[in-house]
Amino acid sequence: MEQAGIRKVQMRRLQGRVHAWFSKPANVILLIFLAALTVLTLYPLLSLLTETFTVHTGREARAAGVSAGSLSLYHFRRLFLTRENDYSYIQFYTPFLNTLIVSVSSSVIAILFGGVVAFLVTRTNLKYKKFISGVFTFPYIMPSWTLALFWETFFKNVQIGLKTSNGIMASVFGIYMPEWFVYGAFPIALVLGLHYAPFAYILIGGILRNMDANLEEAATILKTSRPRIIWKITLPIVKPAMLSTFLLVFASSMSAYSVPVFLGSPVRYYVLSTKMKSLMDSYPGQAYIIVGVMILFGVAILLLNQKVTNSRKQFTTVTGKSGQISKINLGRANRPVAILLVIILLMVAVIPLITFALESVIVKAGDYTLGNMTLDFWIGTGLDKRLDQGDSTGILLNPKVWNALGYSLGLAATCAVVAGTCGILVGYGVAKRRGSRLASWVNSLSFFPYLMPSLAFGAIYLAMSSKVTWLRGFLLLALVGSVKYLPFASRSGVNAMLQLSGEIEEAALITGVPWWKRMLRVIFPIQKSSFLSGYLLPMVSCMRELSLFVLLVPTSNTILTTMLMQYSEKGWAQFGNAINLLIILVVLLVNFIVNKLTGASIDKGVGG
Amino acid sequence: MKKLLSILVVLSLLLTALPAFADVIADVEAGQAMTHDELVAKALAESGTFIVYGNTSRIATAAEEFAALYNINTEANNLKDQEIYTKLRNESGSTAADMVMIQDGAQLTDAIAEGLVINFVPASVKDVLDPADQQPALVHQYINKLFIYNNLGDSVPAIRNVWELTDPAMKGSIIFKNPESEKVNMNFLVMCTKDEWAAKLAEAYKAWKGEDIDLGSYANAGYKWIAEFLDNCTFGKSDTTIAEEISQDTATGKIGLFVLSKLRSSSVLTDNLTVAQYDASASGYAVEPFAGFMYPMYTMVNAKASRPYTGMLFIEYLMTQDGFKPWGKSIGAYSPDPSITVNEGDLTIDVWKNTLVMEDAGYILDSFEVEDFILQHCQN
Repeated sequence: MEQAGIRKVQMRRLQGRVHAWFSKPANVILLIFLAALTVLTLYPLLSLLTETFTVHTGREARAAGVSAGSLSLYHFRRLFLTRENDYSYIQFYTPFLNTLIVSVSSSVIAILFGGVVAFLVTRTNLKYKKFISGVFTFPYIMPSWTLALFWETFFKNVQIGLKTSNGIMASVFGIYMPEWFVYGAFPIALVLGLHYAPFAYILIGGILRNMDANLEEAATILKTSRPRIIWKITLPIVKPAMLSTFLLVFASSMSAYSVPVFLGSPVRYYVLSTKMKSLMDSYPGQAYIIVGVMILFGVAILLLNQKVTNSRKQFTTVTGKSGQISKINLGRANRPVAILLVIILLMVAVIPLITFALESVIVKAGDYTLGNMTLDFWIGTGLDKRLDQGDSTGILLNPKVWNALGYSLGLAATCAVVAGTCGILVGYGVAKRRGSRLASWVNSLSFFPYLMPSLAFGAIYLAMSSKVTWLRGFLLLALVGSVKYLPFASRSGVNAMLQLSGEIEEAALITGVPWWKRMLRVIFPIQKSSFLSGYLLPMVSCMRELSLFVLLVPTSNTILTTMLMQYSEKGWAQFGNAINLLIILVVLLVNFIVNKLTGASIDKGVGG
Repeated sequence: MKKLLSILVVLSLLLTALPAFADVIADVEAGQAMTHDELVAKALAESGTFIVYGNTSRIATAAEEFAALYNINTEANNLKDQEIYTKLRNESGSTAADMVMIQDGAQLTDAIAEGLVINFVPASVKDVLDPADQQPALVHQYINKLFIYNNLGDSVPAIRNVWELTDPAMKGSIIFKNPESEKVNMNFLVMCTKDEWAAKLAEAYKAWKGEDIDLGSYANAGYKWIAEFLDNCTFGKSDTTIAEEISQDTATGKIGLFVLSKLRSSSVLTDNLTVAQYDASASGYAVEPFAGFMYPMYTMVNAKASRPYTGMLFIEYLMTQDGFKPWGKSIGAYSPDPSITVNEGDLTIDVWKNTLVMEDAGYILDSFEVEDFILQHCQN
């Protein structure tokens, strides 16, 4: 009798605890996201794992000598241990080595370029700061292939690559760049490094802007030389941000596809992502193993990233913030350095746009005379009969282009709203339950899609959608986009929430304000610009996404990027360049409008 | 919590539930016996947008004209062959293709065996076409990729024998699309190792060098030619890019192996290009032992089609003179229907069949290890 009573009390206590646990919105949010992210990120991972052991139909089953659908270690043996015809060396080891070279180099370039510019902008009296700061994020906003295409168009010449025509550098200036400069590891690493340099600029710049100037001032009083101050004080403080950038750029470069295709293929320089794509066509099992290898690297990076983030937090706590930051006087070097930077940024961010505009109005390739120019590819009609290539009307008169633009914008907005809102909620849950295992799981799971190469992520979702009849069209694209861009939003959300003190919400809590009202009326308004930046980044990324959607779009005319790819594949360069320019201008315009209306910006989204 | 569990259960059920498809095989069987009017009536009774995938850009024009003719809402998509096969495997429902126009006979053979696509031969062409062009898949057209060179300057590569392309002096002068990125190119190279073509290549070598071929470690002359040809090649992004680049005034001494129809493009300086086989035919010699290769483009009904009868009607339309017009208006596409003649200035399909390497799906399917050999030489 007594025991039954005790059990009853224990049961009530348990019920009370469960009730109390569930009454906290942060717990419910984390639980829901744990379930959703398990399905949406771990399920694809499990599918991927299964695919690496499954023998697929066609060439693969015939080569393996077993029936399709059976389980085998064949793909592993073939990819890693086949000496005949140097198979493993060609399909895996060389591309793997190339991937490491390119990823490490691009990370170093991004840190050096982004870090130096961040230092000059935040810690010196550099001229034209506003322009430099404003244009620096352009390369990230623009699709990465933009710069690759520009690089090739600008520097190609008859002595290298296809050896058939001269680009602007050779034809206008008579300068013939060597092959290593135009194709292969160097340009791939450089283009990716420049594309991701905004990561370094934002992360390192954020710390430099907020660091305690007293440390440097103390050293100055003690008559320490400027280089020694930078080496002994500034660099150690920004080291965690540098490492963080290294890891982010490394992961992104490793799965980059378009840039290696444009700048590597002409000289037979292959990386893992390009090999994965070609293997996916005939030997999907081996392609999925390559994805697995990339993910393994990604997980290692994630673990390192967490370690780095922890040490970064310590640094920030120790140093605190100071309103007084001493600016270094660049003296006579100021103008030359500023002009050099402006020239580099013009080359990287503005001249490509001019090149695309030019390439979209010339009829015969390589002939830039006025007589060879036309606006037909923008506003012409009856083109199929006159030019016998591409569409019948210029892109601005083509309803397909407008439909694709509308679809792309709708998709980008949906992904932004879903990912952005989920990012805030994840941020809220993780910040409130900081240190708990549940928060840590959700935080890691929400970052996981970042580590999956887009192409493989799309392929897995396509396979998933074949088993889920309602998962089609816009819904499928929106789901994939939202999951893939969640890391941006959740990172932004977590950072924004961690900055908020608990008592802000507590005041409203005491007066009995319901949770959703606290979120809408208290938390959101305070961190509005950070949250909106968390919406902006998925929006921008989605507008210029190709690899993720290429297999999932109902038709190649569905969104602008797949339409562009189709035109590029067909060699309809003028239409392709015109659409490319349209995409970039729309993305810049969206970024500009959102920035002007709300104060949100890409840098706040990435940097927190 | 219960709600959460039930949502998870429903989700997992949905993830494993397989969609049900209409019996398209029976529809196609019925369609084979139908007259044109019966097919039209059945097609018009189907609802929704008719979806087509094709790896030829002109499918869009054909689809537009078909849509206008029958007042059927049609959407044509130009995709790469591999994307079409991937989509065929994974897509279903009303957004999946109803009909595909596709190349790469080897992969198509697998797709037919897998039950992904169904062959439909309209009654209108049954007695017109060669049986080999009807089974196992209906050939809509043949496409040729030819040796085409820049005719400017002093070093014009006017080849008369494909072994000339293996000369070390030609290194970097030949442009080809990477066989890894387009299967028909891979198929062509694989075909060179078949006994029939290997023997012809050995003969051609003797004609070129005046001595018997020394195979060294190569299994036959085909392997030797592939290795030395690929070692001299540079890979271009697309056939259009290759045509554009080789036609430049600055591209003297360059030769490519690409689709003849690219010569129609306004961005190609056609006057700067010479088709090796055209020159050979005009001057009364032959390019030994081949002047390029040719492969079929097939039309098939998707086994998961939601609108199979519209797919069949479109195939029937494509096989007519009007349906072939988008391709037939310029050189480089050849209907298997003898009544559809080639363009003025082009050579007939019979000439091409005798001078080009043709795809043999059976041999290609059995020769996957040759692909490894080719890949090795694509890398180095």
